[in-house]
Amino acid sequence: MENSRYSETFDFERKRQREEALRLKNARTGINLFQGSWIFAFVALIVANLQLRSSSPAWPPLGVEKLEPLLPTIATLGLVASAVFARRGFRALKRDDVRGFLVQWRTALALGVAFVAVMAFEWLTLTPLPEVRLRLANGVETMGVLTQYNAMFRVMTAFHGLHALIIGIYMWNVYRGIAHTTPDSCTLWSVEAGAKLWYFVVIAWMLFYVVLYWL
Amino acid sequence: MASISVPMPGVQATPRPKLSEYLRWSVHHKIIGVQYMATALFFFLIGGTLAMLIRWELLTPALDFSPTGSAYNSLFTMHATVMIFLWIIPFWAGLGNYIVPLQLGAKDMAFPWLNAFAFWLIIPAGVLMLAGYFVGPPEAGWTSYPPLSVLFSGDGQTLWIISLHILGVSSILGAINFIVTIKNMRPDTMGWFQMPLFAWAQLATALIQILGVPFLAGGLTLLLLDRVAGTAFFDPSRGGDVLVWQNIFWFYSHPAVYVMVLPGMGVLSEVISVHSRKPIFGYKAIAFSSMGIALVGFTVWAHHMFTSLTPELRIPFMVTSFIIAIPTGIKIFSWIATMWGGKIRFNSAMLFSVGFLSQFVIGGITGMMLGAIPVDIQLHDTYFVVSHFHFVLFGGSVFAIYSSIYHWFPKVTGRMLDERLGKIHFYSTYVAFFFTFFPQHLVGMQGMPRRVAEYAPEFQTLNIIISISAFVLGISTFIILFNMVWSIYKGKVAGPNPWRALTLEWQTSSPPPSYNFKGEVVPFEDPYGYGTEASRVYLDEMEKRLTPANLLGKGGAAASPEPMTGD
Repeated sequence: MENSRYSETFDFERKRQREEALRLKNARTGINLFQGSWIFAFVALIVANLQLRSSSPAWPPLGVEKLEPLLPTIATLGLVASAVFARRGFRALKRDDVRGFLVQWRTALALGVAFVAVMAFEWLTLTPLPEVRLRLANGVETMGVLTQYNAMFRVMTAFHGLHALIIGIYMWNVYRGIAHTTPDSCTLWSVEAGAKLWYFVVIAWMLFYVVLYWL
Repeated sequence: MASISVPMPGVQATPRPKLSEYLRWSVHHKIIGVQYMATALFFFLIGGTLAMLIRWELLTPALDFSPTGSAYNSLFTMHATVMIFLWIIPFWAGLGNYIVPLQLGAKDMAFPWLNAFAFWLIIPAGVLMLAGYFVGPPEAGWTSYPPLSVLFSGDGQTLWIISLHILGVSSILGAINFIVTIKNMRPDTMGWFQMPLFAWAQLATALIQILGVPFLAGGLTLLLLDRVAGTAFFDPSRGGDVLVWQNIFWFYSHPAVYVMVLPGMGVLSEVISVHSRKPIFGYKAIAFSSMGIALVGFTVWAHHMFTSLTPELRIPFMVTSFIIAIPTGIKIFSWIATMWGGKIRFNSAMLFSVGFLSQFVIGGITGMMLGAIPVDIQLHDTYFVVSHFHFVLFGGSVFAIYSSIYHWFPKVTGRMLDERLGKIHFYSTYVAFFFTFFPQHLVGMQGMPRRVAEYAPEFQTLNIIISISAFVLGISTFIILFNMVWSIYKGKVAGPNPWRALTLEWQTSSPPPSYNFKGEVVPFEDPYGYGTEASRVYLDEMEKRLTPANLLGKGGAAASPEPMTGD
């Protein structure tokens, strides 16, 4: 009798561990599926861009300046570097190197903020915002102010920037959590998830970057 | 023909969850499944009412109660959108939620919280959609083609877009949940090819959703911006292109028709095998053809745009459209071969599945006709198209939904549906369905355009036949609704496994306890190994395990006084 009771508690512990492992495995598969799935929303915008381009006589249209790639290219390099730092931060935490994690993750976040700031600047300077605001306020159509070329740029960068912001805020939250408490297996997962989502942001931007500046 | 309805005496060991549990947030997959299905049925009634109004309007060639053509436009727009996005798709999500974890021997879905979240997105989306009808209804059809959807429709169109966005998020979350559950949560003894075909079908459906819905989300974002932010992506007068929307929309929405029918095909694979008492014919062929449909489904979208496509692009899409008939045909022949020589029980579930077979084949063949470019150019935007997709979506999806209700109602509620009412429901639905939608082929061929409230007087005779059949079809729906409500309280107690089915959801009490399975889950080596000695031994063993005494640990509850007999 004693024996069987002992084996029951043993089973319970093993079952708990198995369920914990399954939960992690599920979460990993889930994040991978989300990445593979949601990238198609970005692909849809690329398709729209390419089709508008092909149905337009000139791209960019006559009288519209082609986008200047210098500053965005630097920002893109920074974004790629931030993904590397995010990954190094995750690996540091895996080795229980909390300090190393904080340094790497801080760098990644700073680079991310710089990227979003640069792209927001580009977004605002591409066409003067007051004109757009005026048109929205009184609802009068001002033909040709926002060409397809510029509108597509605005939508794509804004759509991407929104994702960068949301995921960046999530990463910042994770960072703050670890800076103030001792990490456990659960926080290790949230760091992994944050890093994976940040790779998603980077890959989505690489697609957009090529389409917007180099095609 | 002799048919056995209920071969096994029933007991109901587990009490049903209380009604109040269905009305609040719950992360339990069986509760969520029922919530989904009940919500979907509610929207089915709304969509059906709209259909009745449409048929009423079409009784005479002139405008009857719609003040303008626009009012009629918003009627069919709402009808289509409600039926597709709030009835068929959520119903399959709900059935999958209830059945798939049980079939896999799992305790719950992989992400219970996400599951509940995905369901509760449906409610605000449905409210927004219906509210849109009253604040300047959308008029652009469920396809929402610009410029109609940008320049002419009212604010309801904006709500429509937002509502679809929300439903899209719900679909993606649900689909991720299904894939992860099916991939990771099977018992060790269940390999991919011991998995029930319903789970395979849900897997293929979920794959379509995760690849397709984000695409629609991108397109909807652009459409929304065109409406509210002054962009002109779809406005040719300002350098936009309406075909951008058509491409993006159909790249999602053609696969979406497989989202609506693939789970139904999964239901057929279960129902036909169980009620023919025979192993399913071509298990792997059916499983892989689901995947094939999911894959090829993404290559056919432009056949909706034959009339606006350059001629040299039409041919490849015609070819892919024909190719997709192959996996579908494989399934159809596999089901027929499964029934061949079986000891068939023609109960309501089986009747609706066989009904699916016959009607879906008609819908499939008219699909092939429309896939041929010369025919499509002639029949584009006529009632022939309407007839085609109603044969696929009503004769296909809705018949499969009915079949699934008759098949799994005993599992969900612990009570059998009334067989006699079920048969009345089947025959009235089948006949009324046929006379509602088959004559539409004829008026279509004669040239009656779809989406018009006023038509040429020579079409009136057929339209009267169609409308009257449609009213009968509408009334026949109430038979199953009454049957369900009545049977929940007064139906015969079902017992754990009234059909003596081998899949895992039947190897626990009806309704299953909240933890689903007591003790270790033992799947049978072949989920469709009916008619073998090993399966008989397995079922007898499970029957012994599932006596009320074993399930409750003592006395047992609600044992039915006399064993049930077949008719």
